[in-house]
Amino acid sequence: MENHKNNVWIGTDQLNNNPELAQAEQSEFKEKLPMAGEQGETELRLESNRRDFLKYLGFGIGAATIAACDIPVRKAIPYVVKPDSIVPGVATYFATSFVKGGDYCPVLVKTREGRPIKIEGNSLSSMTKGGTSAKAQASVLSLYDTSRFASPIGKGEGMNWSDFDKAVMTQMSEKAKIRIVANTIMSPSAKQAIADFTAAFPLTEVVMFDPISSSAILQANEESFGTAALPSYHFDEADVIVAVDCDFLGGWVSPTEFARQYASGRKVNTKHPKMSRHIQVESYMSLSGSNADNRVPLKPSEIGAFIVALYNEVAKAKGGTRVSGPKLDAAKQKKAAIIAKEMVAAPGKSLLVAGSNNKGEQILVNGINEMLGNYGRTLSFERPLLTRQGNGSAAARLIKEMNSKSVDVVIVMDGANPVYNFPNAVAFREAFAKVDLKISLSGTPNETSEECHYIAPNHHYLESWGDVEPKKGVYSLMQPTISPIFAAVGYAGTRQEGESLLVWSKSTNLDRSADQPYMEYVKAYWKANMFPQQSKISNFQQFWDASLHDGVFEAPIHDYVQNAFVGNTAAAAAKVRKPASSDLEITFYETVNMGGGEYANNPWLQELPDPVTRCVWGNYLAVPVTWDGGNSWSAYQGLNPEEFKGKADDVMLTVAGAEQKTTCVRQFGQPNGTTALALGYGRTVTGMMGRALGNKVGVNVNDWLKVDADGNVQYYATDAAIGAVVGEDEFACVQYHHTMGVTAKDESGAIVMNEAGDKPLNVDEKNIMTLGDGFQGGLTNRSIIYQDKLDNLPHLKEHIAERRAEADHLNKQTLYPFDQYTEELYSQGHHWAMHVDLNACIGCGACQVACVAENNVPVVGKREVYRHHEMTWLRIDRYYYGDYENPKTVYQPMMCQHCDNAPCENVCPVAATNHSSEGLNQMTYNRCIGTRYCANNCPFKVRRFNWLDYTTGDLFGGNEVLVNGEELPFGADNLTRMVLNPDVTVRSRGVIEKCSFCVQRIQEGKLTAKKEGRRLESPDVRSACQTACPTEAIVFGDRNDKHGDLAKRLENPLNYLVLEEINVQSSVYYAARVNNSKEELEA
Amino acid sequence: MRYKFWNHRMLFVFVLAISSLSLMGQDLDAGKKVFRANCAACHAGDMKTKLTGPALGDVQSRWADYGGDEALYSWIRNSQALVGEGNERAVQIYEEYNKSVMTSFLNLSDDDIANLLGYIDIVYQNGPYPPVVVENGGGGNGGAGTPKDNTWLYIGLAVVLTLLALVLMRIVANLKDMILVKETGKEPEPKTLYQTITNSGVINFAIFALVIFGGYYTVSQAIDLGRQQGYQPIQPIKFSHKTHAGTQQIDCQYCHDGARRSKHSVIPAANTCMNCHKAIKVGSTYGTAEISKIYASIGYDPNKDLYIPDYDEMSNEDILKIYEKWITENSETDDVEEQLEGIMAALTNEELGDDKIAGPINWTRVYNLPDHVYFNHSQHVTVGKLECQTCHGPVEEMDVVKAHVPLSMGWCVNCHRKTEVQFAGNEYYKDYELYHQQLEDGTRTGVTVEEIGGTECQKCHY
Repeated sequence: MENHKNNVWIGTDQLNNNPELAQAEQSEFKEKLPMAGEQGETELRLESNRRDFLKYLGFGIGAATIAACDIPVRKAIPYVVKPDSIVPGVATYFATSFVKGGDYCPVLVKTREGRPIKIEGNSLSSMTKGGTSAKAQASVLSLYDTSRFASPIGKGEGMNWSDFDKAVMTQMSEKAKIRIVANTIMSPSAKQAIADFTAAFPLTEVVMFDPISSSAILQANEESFGTAALPSYHFDEADVIVAVDCDFLGGWVSPTEFARQYASGRKVNTKHPKMSRHIQVESYMSLSGSNADNRVPLKPSEIGAFIVALYNEVAKAKGGTRVSGPKLDAAKQKKAAIIAKEMVAAPGKSLLVAGSNNKGEQILVNGINEMLGNYGRTLSFERPLLTRQGNGSAAARLIKEMNSKSVDVVIVMDGANPVYNFPNAVAFREAFAKVDLKISLSGTPNETSEECHYIAPNHHYLESWGDVEPKKGVYSLMQPTISPIFAAVGYAGTRQEGESLLVWSKSTNLDRSADQPYMEYVKAYWKANMFPQQSKISNFQQFWDASLHDGVFEAPIHDYVQNAFVGNTAAAAAKVRKPASSDLEITFYETVNMGGGEYANNPWLQELPDPVTRCVWGNYLAVPVTWDGGNSWSAYQGLNPEEFKGKADDVMLTVAGAEQKTTCVRQFGQPNGTTALALGYGRTVTGMMGRALGNKVGVNVNDWLKVDADGNVQYYATDAAIGAVVGEDEFACVQYHHTMGVTAKDESGAIVMNEAGDKPLNVDEKNIMTLGDGFQGGLTNRSIIYQDKLDNLPHLKEHIAERRAEADHLNKQTLYPFDQYTEELYSQGHHWAMHVDLNACIGCGACQVACVAENNVPVVGKREVYRHHEMTWLRIDRYYYGDYENPKTVYQPMMCQHCDNAPCENVCPVAATNHSSEGLNQMTYNRCIGTRYCANNCPFKVRRFNWLDYTTGDLFGGNEVLVNGEELPFGADNLTRMVLNPDVTVRSRGVIEKCSFCVQRIQEGKLTAKKEGRRLESPDVRSACQTACPTEAIVFGDRNDKHGDLAKRLENPLNYLVLEEINVQSSVYYAARVNNSKEELEA
Repeated sequence: MRYKFWNHRMLFVFVLAISSLSLMGQDLDAGKKVFRANCAACHAGDMKTKLTGPALGDVQSRWADYGGDEALYSWIRNSQALVGEGNERAVQIYEEYNKSVMTSFLNLSDDDIANLLGYIDIVYQNGPYPPVVVENGGGGNGGAGTPKDNTWLYIGLAVVLTLLALVLMRIVANLKDMILVKETGKEPEPKTLYQTITNSGVINFAIFALVIFGGYYTVSQAIDLGRQQGYQPIQPIKFSHKTHAGTQQIDCQYCHDGARRSKHSVIPAANTCMNCHKAIKVGSTYGTAEISKIYASIGYDPNKDLYIPDYDEMSNEDILKIYEKWITENSETDDVEEQLEGIMAALTNEELGDDKIAGPINWTRVYNLPDHVYFNHSQHVTVGKLECQTCHGPVEEMDVVKAHVPLSMGWCVNCHRKTEVQFAGNEYYKDYELYHQQLEDGTRTGVTVEEIGGTECQKCHY
């Protein structure tokens, strides 16, 4: 058991003790400089030879001499009339709301000199409480998307707005049958604008659909309670959470809110040894499933039968009527019984959620929650959730209408891309071609806008006025944080979509002479509708200012009565899906970064590794892993035998007779006989020609999706087949990159030997023999992850204490007087440190994108990631433990540990990296000469080298290697560069970089305190990853501040330092992972 | 619009005498402070010129008939109250200045105002206070006076030593020759001067010296590449800091208002200039030539005292017509064409593609910090309580601003090594308990910036 505790693994190659892997892990870098062997002739622009070098040398000296005589003239251009709210050099924050279809996050936008550069959470929101998501963090980059439409386009030509409006309006008569196609609209004022539009064109209808639909839940709730809405879920109130194929932490319905709630029940401490129980029943490894205490793998076609089984077991216990439906095998039936028993044991404190888009299954889920008395407690309709409003049947009707040519005009709202991801996209595409007038309001090119006659580009949300109602009575405002970019630089510019509709309908409610007509419109709407809902503020202008300042406004709840459950469960049970007998089934799922494909042209999200597969730039077919006994693991059909070498198999995947080429990835926890592929990839039009970032990345699975009789899209198929292996791919999966080398012991605790059996693998035998197990870097007993069951908490505490004492003892055997350094240097002033609670971390990746945004980390592209060249300062390591075929997961955010005895500092020949008196491991780019000794010596593998000129920051670009074969790397465009944080240097080729603990924020926080003449307090300095985290897993602060937030976290006896035994005195504490698993549900 | 009080000459002299007497109990330095903090933005520092507000010289005498000092004090504190009360003099000034309201200074104590009035009087009568002493090359880094130039001494010394070396070489060569003659009995071959100089030892030495000195010179010059100490570019507007900060005593941070709160000191926007130049339309040095450029930038019509509506959309020709009228009517010189060309040149920029007069003034940066250095003005001005002149030199004496310091890393670091942190009075530094203890013990007299990490890399580079 003792060894099992640290027995985590990262992949099959490592489990198999592949000697080549052991070799590969010992070298820091995949290749040596120069990288010519890796590069094709076309990429390496070998324009220079020795003579050229001499020429450059001569020119360089000459240029420098001339430069010295003639000082380059630099201009400083002040404002003509300086706005009061702007002080150049000081950031201004605006509260607004990030909305994209059904994704919602209330945010604060950091602007510098009028440029939005960073998204922070809005802590005043009752839903997210300051948390953010990776998507919200990355949304600021899409403002500066070079592919955005700068002017309205009519029949392929750029136009000005008045001509455009004239052209559109002459083609729309009062009797025109107009359909407005949109993703979920959460904005009350936008709905009002559509209503005003409908007043002028009475035959208008709105067809809402969600790229990833929950329409079955809406239908089920209408039938069960008479409310066609989602309930509010309260994961924080539940002791037993059961999720059936439902990734509520990754993407389902309102993930940021749920992550916050979920984590509050999961933060365990020896003082509070209590945590909620989370059971995930699923057909693929989801983010939620990887965080679950117990996980029941099922085939997707068995989900219906499982829900029926759950229903019957709960009914049996609660005295309800049983229903008849499809049956499961005995083992799975037994698991359903155990889960039902647990839920029954926590009446009103359990919560069952299902991601299924089958109406029958959702009615049964409602029935179960009703029987358990959960309504009004862990979920309620008091404030229905409005983040999914897409209606399956309306979608089917639209296709029929278009086919019969009874629709004259289709207006597609911004964000919606029906040609790509409408329910039954193939049929939509055919029918769409038959419409006479198609208008797109999309701000960027997509598959649908390509098909439209007119494009009236919408503002980006950071340029827009608007409002959001994510839950009934919970409002959130949207205000511009920059004036519309394109109109300001001489283009016709963009226009808010609501305004376009109002202009075309000649609505008198829009005052076109106003300075900002749509703002006046939203304001008028709020005056009429939101203002009367409260009584605190009596003056509307004050109410408006206060709401705008806070960003959120919550109307008080009026008396509310929960409707009784009236669903017909017997009929519902007849509707559930039936288990199939096919060999291979496939699940289509949503990832945290790509959603339904709306984010495809955001390179920050494309380059954020999917937390579960850890792949970037594409969707990869998850193939199950089998334990063959002994020390051997293999994947389905033996695919991907050598992932660590960056090799993966491309296979032909056939679903419903249509085949596409996809790349495989080995996925632990993927049930046997199933496979899974993510939605949202394979977009074909995502940006301007030649610079299409998300174009043809991955595989489009939408055409494989079937629609059931209720009009609901089904995200699985039972007729999948993996055909021949067609080739090898450059495998952009970061799982084997930058590994720290996990413990080199097998199950029994014996050191793993090499193939010949004479030498320990990857272990410094001499050290082990002479100095003992685990001494200073020995791989036998590494402290990277500590985890245990909740029942074993006292034991875990003791174990950690023991190991830390052991490490301390080893570390005392040193020549260096540490205590003296501590006393003289770190005991006064500040001593920075971080704490990461592995129990709260769900691996969502928000911190990683926040770090990229805050620190100007470059985007490198798929091929560079394949070559181990990703630049992220913060990575989220994924470790598995427990059962080999159905393991549990630990996510570990890993960044520079700011060691007070840093191995990287000692080896730098130019002292470019050194230590500060506040405990920071400093990196000085302009001093770095690129020897990479530091990276080689870093035990945590957190230093990143700029192999290529990713930012075009170099002086002589002509001799540089192309990045991804593109003349201009991403981020080199002047528009994209507007997102850069002006307080952080943009690094050039040939220097090392790494996490700085957000030193710019530290400096700013200290300065604020100094200016105000007070001591530094915890809220003054918060790192970017900390503010982004939806679960408060990360806390940064000053160790010397005994009353700060960090001090409280450091009291936890479950804390440990990663690799403490190697005596680097690191500054990032981790709290051990605790799971609340039960033996009877294991494996 | 001149004041008409000059006819009471006798009274004036009398009041002057009285006020001179009353100076005895006043603190002129404190008065100067009050003036610069509160009044200098609208009232001229020489007390004789009219700016946005009237010239203050002799103010007490003007109030003598309308309630004397008591009324004047309450006028300074809250002018509108006095207007409301119907004080004749108050209403008169209010009307005269187009009903523009003087800012209230309720926080000024009687002593403050007394000091202020004392200061106004002394300046009015005797010129700048404290009296300006003209120094030669003042304001250097150390301010220890110009060191004596010893170059000629060194050259002289070098010549003497070289001659000495030559003489010695000759002697040595001759002695060697004599020894040779003595030992071998050969004919003496006395070396010529040329032979002595071109002997291999001398040549080797010369090459060695050349490499050393050449190398030293190259390196020290190379380090200075790109540094701009002494840089003094011509600006689009002949703005004189000497006039504004020197003569008129306007506080630096009145215009550069970012210095106390931001990393940038901020080049003032044109509307900041307009605070004063709405009233002062013709300059003392350049007449209409320079101030018109501000008007042309922001769109102010000095003929009508109005901001021009929709100025951004006007053509350059129309704009120039407005200022042509103004300059023709108000310029004392006869160079209207030239002045208009000046406006064009100052406000358009071919290189940047800016062909419109309307819009910002493109100043030329004098201090250029490399991109990889983070510098924050407020840290130094607000927290460190440094005077602007510490780094920027005697700006108040410069007509055209000149880069005063090299902005090299050595310059920054040296200052951080010497300068003591303002430990006292700032709660923030309480975190440095050890140093506080040592300060109390007397084992330490102060804490330098370096000692709290002020020379560590990531203080400035990140």
